[in-house]
Amino acid sequence: MMSSSGFESPTFRAYLFFLAGLLIVAGALLVLLRFGFKRNVDHAWKAYRGWLIMIPLVFAALFLGRIASVIFFTLVAFAAFTEFARATGLYRDWGMTGIVLLGIAAVGVVSMIDDPLTGVDGWYGMLMALPVFVVAAILLIPILRDRAEGQLQRIALAILGFIYIGWMFGHLAFLVNAKNAYGYLLFLLFAVPLNDIAAFTFVRIFGNRKLRPHISPNKTWAGSLGALAVSMALPWCLRFSFPEFGTRELILSGLIVGIGGQLGDLSISVIKRDIGIKDMGALIEGHGGVLDRVDSLIYVAPLFFHMTRYFHGL
Amino acid sequence: MDEWRYEPTEDFDQAPVERLKNFPRQPDMLVFAGRSVAHLVMRGLLRIYNRLEIVGRENLPQNDSFVLVANHSSHLDAITLLSCLPISRIHRAFPAAASDYFFTSVTRVVFSAIVVNAMPFDRKENPRQSLELCRQLLETPGHVLVLFPEGTRTLDGTIGQFKPGIGLITAGTSVPVVPCYLRGAYEAWPKGRWFPRPHKLLLTIGPPMSFKGLTSSRENAIMIADSLREDVDSLRRQTDL
Repeated sequence: MMSSSGFESPTFRAYLFFLAGLLIVAGALLVLLRFGFKRNVDHAWKAYRGWLIMIPLVFAALFLGRIASVIFFTLVAFAAFTEFARATGLYRDWGMTGIVLLGIAAVGVVSMIDDPLTGVDGWYGMLMALPVFVVAAILLIPILRDRAEGQLQRIALAILGFIYIGWMFGHLAFLVNAKNAYGYLLFLLFAVPLNDIAAFTFVRIFGNRKLRPHISPNKTWAGSLGALAVSMALPWCLRFSFPEFGTRELILSGLIVGIGGQLGDLSISVIKRDIGIKDMGALIEGHGGVLDRVDSLIYVAPLFFHMTRYFHGL
Repeated sequence: MDEWRYEPTEDFDQAPVERLKNFPRQPDMLVFAGRSVAHLVMRGLLRIYNRLEIVGRENLPQNDSFVLVANHSSHLDAITLLSCLPISRIHRAFPAAASDYFFTSVTRVVFSAIVVNAMPFDRKENPRQSLELCRQLLETPGHVLVLFPEGTRTLDGTIGQFKPGIGLITAGTSVPVVPCYLRGAYEAWPKGRWFPRPHKLLLTIGPPMSFKGLTSSRENAIMIADSLREDVDSLRRQTDL
């Protein structure tokens, strides 16, 4: 359960100090490379500046508590879906886009309100039922317009947009209702990007056998396996985040982050490749769009959510 | 199976502020919502704070594109002129605004593009291109171009010379030009003051003019500008009575 102030949670404090330290060390390292060794660090510097904004934003939202966190994740989902809609062209259809945005708002609302039957925080039953209602509403639009031409593409894009970017990502917002909300959320928000960075770094160091050359030509098997190794070790290093986890859950968490994260990245790459674009947007300098940043998280969040819910309840 | 054809919006790969600097801007739900709310609020404020009164609404063409021209004395002018249009039409109404002033800082871009829906007008380097853009804008039915042909705010409350640009845009076209006179804006918010005063505003909308019979030449453009200035000035004389 999230407390009124993040500082009351030892897990929150631990991550806060650790990441603040990490940012300082990384910043110092960049300064050293740039001025000490006269290396070109422009690209890394841009990415670093992005983190310098994103990390404090995430901590501020979690610090402010349950409602603020849900609102934050919902806004991220809005931004990510809007990028998807713009890139695919679905955005030209304001009816479809509007329904999906409403659906995403509904995911946020059910994450905030109590279950009317049991009174616990977060209406889980409705979260699971939402795709039914949103898909029904999306299908209603062409019927109301009495139009068939080209509608299947819009329906399909809207449904994918809602289910994947709105609802599956929305599981992350729903985690604020977990007993160990800070542990789960901070672990995911730390481990998933770290997995991305690890994959990227291992590619640089060794290996040239392409992982999926037709989807993402820069990824290699070595990078991918290296990232998986890092992600498998991470739950043990961060064991304080979830004291209730046994070996089985720790292994599963590692697999979900290590494999799921990379599949999430590749899934969005498939979409980008098919459209023929490089980035989904340009909101975060050095990272591309919001969707480029959270692509792995979308895939990982619901898998982790249902794993932990199955073993420990929320 | 045929493959799908995706049509990304033209600005999908741009950062939000860059998107706002574009013209024509791609429709954006958030911008439309923000603009509608901002206009509702500002219309309310103009009514209460400046007791805005609008006379001659019946002179506005209903469905055609048209140009609104008016005297220019304050930053209230564009918003006040837009207030004579229904809210549903403000997203297709574009006040021409100096790009060297209104599109320089992030705050100004946000205000000009979201609230005013301004068209960046390059009055220094390439005014010809901007005039051509105005012409193209008016080719789409239902568009409204808001122009202040003096090119800058008056320093003393009088109506300055009208620049011939308005003539170059409208000569030889059937686009109606609606002259307006806004009284009280100079007293309410003269150039150089920080904040508007609660002075009464009166917007008088005159009958539309058309310059279809004239060819697009420098002389005709000057003549059109002068005659529109005369129309605005006669509205001023009427309201001063």
